[in-house]
Amino acid sequence: MALRYMHATASDREWKKGSAELLILSLVEARPRHGYEISKLIEQKSQGKLSFHVASLYPLLYRLEKRGWLKGRWVEKSGQRRRRYYRLTRKGRRVLASQQQGWQQFVEAVNRITGGIAEAENA
Amino acid sequence: MPEWKEEILRRLESLKLPAARETEIAEEISQHLEDRYRELLAMGKAPAEAQRLAFAEINEGDLLARNLRALEKAATRDDAPLGGGNRELWGGLAQDVRYGLRMLAKSPGFTAVAILTLALGIGANTSIFSLIDGILMRSLPVRDAQSLVVLKWSAHKNPEAHNANIYGDCGNETFGGPSGSSSCSFPEPFFRDISEQSGIFSSVAAFANEGPLNISGNGMASVLTAEAISGQCFSTLGVRPALGRLIVSADDSTSAPPVVVLNYGYWKSRFGASPSVVGRSIRLNNVPFTIIGVAEPRFDSLSPGHIRDVWVPLSVLPQLHPTPEQKTRADDIYTWWLVIVGRLRPGVTIGQAQAAASVIFRNEMLHGVKALSKPEDNPQVAALPAQAGLAGNASGFSRELYVLMMAVGIVLLIACANVAGLLLSRATARQKEIAVRLTLGAGRKRVVRQLLTESVMLSVIGGVVGSLFAVWGSHAIIGLMAAGSDEPLGFSPGIDGRVLMFTFAASVLTGVIFGAAPALRSLRVDLTPALKEGAGGSAAEGGTGRWFGFFSVGNGLVIAQVALAVVALVGAGLLVRTLQNVKSVDPGFDTRNVLTFGLDPTLIGYKTAQADELYRNLQERLAAMQQVDSVSYSRVPLLGRDYSMSDFSMPGTVKGESADAGTLEVGADFFSTMHMRLLAGRGFDAAALAQAEVVRERAETQRAVQKPGGSGAAVNPKAAARSRAPDKAAGQANEAALPVVINQRFVEKYYAKSNPLGQHFGQREANAKTGASADPGYVIVGVVSDAKYQDLQSDIDPTVYMPSSGGDVTFEVRSAMSPGTLTALVRRVVSQMDSNLPVIAMHTETQLIEQLVSDQNMIAQVSGFFGVLALALACIGLYGLLAYEVSRRTREIGVRMALGARQVDVLRLVVGRGILLAVAGAAVGIGIALGVTRYLASLLYGVHPDDPVTMVGVAVLLVLVALAACYIPARRATQVDPIVALRYE
Repeated sequence: MALRYMHATASDREWKKGSAELLILSLVEARPRHGYEISKLIEQKSQGKLSFHVASLYPLLYRLEKRGWLKGRWVEKSGQRRRRYYRLTRKGRRVLASQQQGWQQFVEAVNRITGGIAEAENA
Repeated sequence: MPEWKEEILRRLESLKLPAARETEIAEEISQHLEDRYRELLAMGKAPAEAQRLAFAEINEGDLLARNLRALEKAATRDDAPLGGGNRELWGGLAQDVRYGLRMLAKSPGFTAVAILTLALGIGANTSIFSLIDGILMRSLPVRDAQSLVVLKWSAHKNPEAHNANIYGDCGNETFGGPSGSSSCSFPEPFFRDISEQSGIFSSVAAFANEGPLNISGNGMASVLTAEAISGQCFSTLGVRPALGRLIVSADDSTSAPPVVVLNYGYWKSRFGASPSVVGRSIRLNNVPFTIIGVAEPRFDSLSPGHIRDVWVPLSVLPQLHPTPEQKTRADDIYTWWLVIVGRLRPGVTIGQAQAAASVIFRNEMLHGVKALSKPEDNPQVAALPAQAGLAGNASGFSRELYVLMMAVGIVLLIACANVAGLLLSRATARQKEIAVRLTLGAGRKRVVRQLLTESVMLSVIGGVVGSLFAVWGSHAIIGLMAAGSDEPLGFSPGIDGRVLMFTFAASVLTGVIFGAAPALRSLRVDLTPALKEGAGGSAAEGGTGRWFGFFSVGNGLVIAQVALAVVALVGAGLLVRTLQNVKSVDPGFDTRNVLTFGLDPTLIGYKTAQADELYRNLQERLAAMQQVDSVSYSRVPLLGRDYSMSDFSMPGTVKGESADAGTLEVGADFFSTMHMRLLAGRGFDAAALAQAEVVRERAETQRAVQKPGGSGAAVNPKAAARSRAPDKAAGQANEAALPVVINQRFVEKYYAKSNPLGQHFGQREANAKTGASADPGYVIVGVVSDAKYQDLQSDIDPTVYMPSSGGDVTFEVRSAMSPGTLTALVRRVVSQMDSNLPVIAMHTETQLIEQLVSDQNMIAQVSGFFGVLALALACIGLYGLLAYEVSRRTREIGVRMALGARQVDVLRLVVGRGILLAVAGAAVGIGIALGVTRYLASLLYGVHPDDPVTMVGVAVLLVLVALAACYIPARRATQVDPIVALRYE
């Protein structure tokens, strides 16, 4: 049991650092999106709670691309300036699945603890 | 609209990113800011406010640069695309290769010419290397060859009373001469002493060529080659049987029944690979042998090129050759005939083995029953690694193969220069592409890598195609080499792993060599003019802009190609002239319409008188045939490579001093059959032949009764070693002198001032000290014209023709028609006389001469081929440069013609320039050739390495061919239409 607890702690630390990555990977899971679209979606879906500045978003996108989780490609649509669309790679999909699961476990753990404290205080 | 890009670029400046990457990031982020700006406007913000808010995204100090720095640093180290992860390098290379393939496919003409050129260069090198690998670097077909050594003795002077049988297993073996003597032949007693040195060697073996043996009991009687080996030979070498068992120590005993092991190839060809051969009986020289096994396939010979059909134990030799010498040889310290190999014990060094063997050898040489050497002669033994020591026939080809390797090296250099020239021309066409890539931020290293990748790809494809050429080429050369002998060459070079490694290395190196100059040159491109429309600056020309700037790289490459081609052609020319000179030598007899064939009735037990009777009868029967003009026989054929010489005591010389002369025993009518002119006296009649028979029989009888190992057995062994003439030394003192016929050269040297007819020479008194008995010598009964004997190149020696008796002989049959038509007839007649008697080596005299000059023929043909190839490649290079210049200068030619230049002026301009280049190249080439052809001197005959005729001939040929190469582009230049050419102005 102790081992499991330690394991959970270690991976939690990892995903906290990487939660921004998780957000981006989740957003391009369904279809390729460009940077501005990704930043707008984060803002909208978090109802303004989360937002990325350009100075953080693009370096992060490039990092994910460099790791081979995303693949960026310039797409030119008629009548528009070309944009760079990012799609999830097969590797990125595996990473996303694992991060989603980790996130799920983390949220449940946090809920259990925070819920537990509330219950104790209520008692 | 705000200038987003400039703002972003300013913030990225400190990162020093490649321009292309920087542009890409700026584009993407400016797109983001613009989207944000439009959104803010749509939300009702004033433009200034919207712009401020949008910029706020990147205004947090240098956050963007900081966040990008760590990321982009790694990427700029190698310009590989993002997304490659740890595979950046390989990802980048794969991209280069893909891009390179696209570029090569875009210009199929260039690609085809470059690949073909490289394939010829690399293929030529691969074929010669495969021969060097298969012949000179062949690994011994034995287990753990590193611990196997072969012994070789040396001494400042030839050991006394020493009779050596040399079979060429060790390559260079020398006797006498300024550098002393050395050889791998040892007497059998020494072999036994060495075998007892169990501290040094874990096992020791000996072997010796047993020459041809007559085989019956397996179809028609025929002759095979045999090697006699000691009982431990196969186990020492680590050879395994493919079938049955191999010879072991118990078989090598006089009390053991005779056994034989078959060569795998011989078993397959002569016994149909039948597994039931084991236990079968065959007769070798009429002695019944039991086949006990077949050796493993890879073991066909121990020394390169000496393929043996069978192996027999040493102990059976007295049965195979029931001569007095064979019976006594096992204990005879004077007869040296065995090659000794030993396997070192683990931990024993070659130096220790050498020291131990030398001690035994010196002891026997200086303090044996009879001392054969003096201490100052310093007799010693070297232990050589068997791989290097057992050179066999390989050493005979080494000079030729290294000369050819130099020739193909030159061809490859020309091919490199040629393709480098093509690439330089192409670099001009690609100047704009490279300028664009550099402008977009491609690193210069990256561009060089791309161009080198393309050139290495070209050469690797060239290498693959070249390997196919090499398979064909090496087979063709092997065919030419094998033409020199009736026996199989004994080498089977092929394209194995080592050769492929060589080819791959040569290809990559070639790619780097010819790709380096154009690739580096591409970096010196000036971006601004290069990007302009219609820019025509020439990289090949070094950017001088002048008409064919003489000291340009392109011109330099052409001059280098022509110079190298001249060197190759001069070498080839000298070798071709050597072949012509050798072939045009007058041999002194009529070589046309003569059929020769060998007979050795002694192999099936004929005694001297029986053999002589057989020869007489056969001569009569053949001569009686309508198709035959005349018939004779001799011990060996003229110009058949075999040669024997003796030293005779000559009247008038200092006592004890001897005179050398070639000797040949011949039958009746020999001189008339060979169309040699009898200048004085007479030839040999029946009485002379009968006298020879008596002499030979007496000598044989006398030898048979002499004690083994005694002084009698060592009678003048020096003479015995050098002469195949009947051993008259053993004759009776009261015997009459043997009639002989001498050649003109003999007369000139020894009887210049007297009539030679009736003169006596070669007499010897008995000498108890040396064991020599009295010899009545020879009396001259005739003089014949000079004839070449050993080979065509050597000067004709003074020669003594003696009447032949017994032994093996070669018949010469002269016919009015083509001698090839007589072969079946001759075989039938021989078979009718004795069905067990095989006909050996049937050739026309012309074929013998072809075999004799086969080495010269091979190297002349092959080097000639490479010379022509070098010339063709150099001229293609010249043509390519001129054609390129003409097409590049079309506009200028148009202007010249519009201003009044005539066609002939343009023709002169282009051809003149080409010829100038060719002449410059030829001059440089002849200069180099003068320096290097002396290394060919040992291969030349009748032509000096500096031969002016060859040099001038090659230069003229080259300029003529160059003229043709210049003419086509020059002609195209004259056809330039000024109006079309100037349309773009």
